[in-house]
Amino acid sequence: MDICSWARQIASGSREEALSEILQYMQLEFFHSNNMVFSPELEVSVRSWILTVGEVDRGVDRKKLWHSEIFLLKQNLPPLPRRLFEFTMLSSRIMPRAAAPVRSALKAHTNLPRFVQFSRAYASSADEKDLVIIGGGVAGYVAAIKAGQEGLKVTCIEKRGVLGGTCLNVGCIPSKSLLNNSHMYHAIKHDTKQRGIVGVEGVSFDLAKMMKAKDTSVTSLTNGIEFLFKKNGVEYLKGAGSFVNEHEIKVDLNDGGETSVSGKNIIIATGSEATPFPGLEIDEQRVITSTGALSLEKVPESMVVIGGGIIGLEMGSVWSRLGSKVTVVEFLNQIGGPGMDAEISKASLKTLKKQGIDFKLGTKVLGGDPSGDKIKLQVDAAKGGKEETIEADVVLVAIGRRPYTAGLGLENIGMELDERSRVIIDQEYRTKVPHIRCIGDVTFGPMLAHKAEEEAVAAVEYISKGYGHVNYGVIPSVMYTYPEVAWVGQNEAELKASDTAYRIGTFPFSANSRAKTNLDTEGMVKIIACPETDRLLGVHIIGPNAGEMIAEAALALEYGASSEDIARTCHAHPTLSEAFKEAAMATYSKAIHF
Amino acid sequence: MGRPSHNSGYRTSAACLAASNFTMPALSPTMTEGNITTWKLKEGDSYAAGDVLLEIETDKATMDVEAQDEGILMKITQADRTKAVKVGSRIAVIAESGDDISALEMPPDETPAPIPEKKESPPPSSAEPKSESSPKKNESPKKPAAPQTYPLFPAVKQLMKQKGVEDSEVSKMTPTGPKGRLLKGDVLAYLGLLDSNSPKVVQARFEKLSHLDLSNVKPIPAKGAPKKVEEKKAAPPAPPLIEKLDVALAISLAPVLEAQKRLKDTLGVDMPLSSFISRATDVANDGLPLPASYKPTADELFDQVLGLDSLPKSSKGVYLPQITALPPAEKRTPRAAPSTKPDIIDILAGSPKRITPKPMQSTVAFTTGTNVFILSVPKAEEKRAKVFLERVKVVLENEPGRLVL
Repeated sequence: MDICSWARQIASGSREEALSEILQYMQLEFFHSNNMVFSPELEVSVRSWILTVGEVDRGVDRKKLWHSEIFLLKQNLPPLPRRLFEFTMLSSRIMPRAAAPVRSALKAHTNLPRFVQFSRAYASSADEKDLVIIGGGVAGYVAAIKAGQEGLKVTCIEKRGVLGGTCLNVGCIPSKSLLNNSHMYHAIKHDTKQRGIVGVEGVSFDLAKMMKAKDTSVTSLTNGIEFLFKKNGVEYLKGAGSFVNEHEIKVDLNDGGETSVSGKNIIIATGSEATPFPGLEIDEQRVITSTGALSLEKVPESMVVIGGGIIGLEMGSVWSRLGSKVTVVEFLNQIGGPGMDAEISKASLKTLKKQGIDFKLGTKVLGGDPSGDKIKLQVDAAKGGKEETIEADVVLVAIGRRPYTAGLGLENIGMELDERSRVIIDQEYRTKVPHIRCIGDVTFGPMLAHKAEEEAVAAVEYISKGYGHVNYGVIPSVMYTYPEVAWVGQNEAELKASDTAYRIGTFPFSANSRAKTNLDTEGMVKIIACPETDRLLGVHIIGPNAGEMIAEAALALEYGASSEDIARTCHAHPTLSEAFKEAAMATYSKAIHF
Repeated sequence: MGRPSHNSGYRTSAACLAASNFTMPALSPTMTEGNITTWKLKEGDSYAAGDVLLEIETDKATMDVEAQDEGILMKITQADRTKAVKVGSRIAVIAESGDDISALEMPPDETPAPIPEKKESPPPSSAEPKSESSPKKNESPKKPAAPQTYPLFPAVKQLMKQKGVEDSEVSKMTPTGPKGRLLKGDVLAYLGLLDSNSPKVVQARFEKLSHLDLSNVKPIPAKGAPKKVEEKKAAPPAPPLIEKLDVALAISLAPVLEAQKRLKDTLGVDMPLSSFISRATDVANDGLPLPASYKPTADELFDQVLGLDSLPKSSKGVYLPQITALPPAEKRTPRAAPSTKPDIIDILAGSPKRITPKPMQSTVAFTTGTNVFILSVPKAEEKRAKVFLERVKVVLENEPGRLVL
């Protein structure tokens, strides 16, 4: 009557004997000591449960296990004896090939509280995981879920306390909430008269509630990921991971204490942080990064945004719409950051100016002084113009992001970084240490959530299938200002730089019927194609819903379409997407409506 | 789940005259081979969608394979009770319903091919019926360059019609699109309307762009790096030194011996002293206070995170006391009790890594009077060990009779 002999019996194939011993044990010791009668009915259900556990071992239906367990629970049993659980854990290990589904099945019933405390017996932190992921941001959590789906035993370490990383918590998602709601407010305030909507004079907003709406969206999304972790059998450790050696990671748990995990494979997905501005200390109250800009408690009278990239323009738009006097200081002569086509960038600059944002392009911030009531910034035209001082209540530092590897113990494994602190990888995301891979913002490529997501899937597929792929030539970018700007593929400047011939076709939304009826006609679609083969090279859109429309462009690029292929694909009327089709027509021949 | 692969492609009317191979289906993702138990149909029988064609036995179960579409079972190539048929290998030949099977030619056995089925026609877009008749199609697999597997792009079709290019000429063109897709530029190049290299140049450009540009990576000059590596190497040889501590307690075995005697007298059962002690240690090991150095396991933390379970306050011990007659021998080197739980798999696998605790050393000299129970434990577990020994004492001295049950 001990586990070893059960185990031996099971291993030698006499499962039935082991089973009857267990039943006997339960009957004699467990039920007797609990003053319970081990009724025949109960015996049947316990028996079926044990058998189902066995079946799951052999890869049969996992749902069955659930059903029989739930059935058992309904019988109002006292906690089942520990040994029984040891038995189940054990039997799951004896058949290593089928072990993965069982493990996740067992893990999955951690929400059956009665069973939980007993399932611990052999779970020790010493088991080696198939994959340990440091970072629960978009790269990390997607990798964890994908790995769970691939049947890997996976642990994800995240120190923020919630999953989703920068994107979900202090980036893409909350900013979209504020952008959308501030846009609605702004539209109601300024854009109703011509539409015949009256009675909205004196419209105002409640910033606290706006923030709450944002937080609600964020929470529901991050909880959603936690649910997906459970569903896919991902172990989630809340704490800060650091390398002890090439296989072992020490985790300082957020709730105190320390544990360690080791993995056959490790993925570094620690993401990025806002690059601070030298000489201006970030306090997230007055000198803020995008994080602070998402949770200001009141609308600042004036705001200076250092950096005219996507983050700066989006956050600048939010606070400008809510009433701040926003000035964007950009070192380059163009806004929108790298990748945005110059023509589109100019169009965007024009509309943003119209919306009331001030721009100082080609201007360098020399330094700042936050000591007074207002923060003073010394700026200088980049090419030696006159120096001046601008004042603001709040300064948003949005000069870019940098890889985040602090406290990761990379020095303990001799990890190589490049000059911009990116972890050096090869095409398969392997670092210098081949079983440690690295994906997302902390390594090369654009710092975009969807790029990280693609890499996560590819990296896990390299581990589980030996091959994965991300098409870096077709990664769309979107700026969610109003109107939106979106692009995919190459822009004119890049093509010129590589001496590639190209042909352009454009179509303005002012000639699009839907945009006309929406009274929302700013912007255009610009398509760049190879002049000889007509193959699509890049698509750049500024206009209403550009971010949604870019998906079609990405699809076309992915499939190697020519502009004629797009033009010959039927687009519904009246939709904004017709502008896309007409731009394609303009590229290979002529647009109809322009 | 059994999905005969004979109807995976598009179906156009032109394809009706084909007989096709029916291959061993994979009834589960892990299935690699199976045994054919029985065919439910005879050669020449027609079947409708949903009819059971045959029964297959795998290592896991016996399952019926249902037809996905109607058709005729033309020939059975793997008869009843054929064992270990690889997934994907031909087990029968089937024809479309209504075909005259006597007139159809047997398709070749394409067993090793992962796509067992010939694609029934190039793009379904080609509106005109295929001129060639059925069995001739076997030539197509020999031209891997031809992109017949996808519908042609609209611009490609347009251009071909416009220039009077036959569908059959598609196979002569060089596709440069992703996954062998034929692009507009490829047709133009085929027609000589542009430099035949142009599409390839564009293709090469896309190929390059599709990868991360890692060509110009500049690692940070590793200043302190080599030094650190050395430090790292120095670190492992010094494993954390765990201070060991002997915890001892005198326990009288007299009551046990008395109980043993009573047992023998009343039931005639001879229960060795070691059984008493091992049962006592078993009882005492239950729910011991956690060692001071206890680290919660990942699973415990996981549950705590989910709010299902709080961290345990106690855990089962694995102590095994060293027993010696009074007075304790001074120089006895105490056997260290394993400080981690023995893993059952290691026990089974006979892994050399861990020492399996022996149930009880038979060489230990007991006295009938007081014995000293000694535990050698890491310092952090001092309290835990004391509690354990106290419990052993209570059990052995006060109620040894209960250990019999």
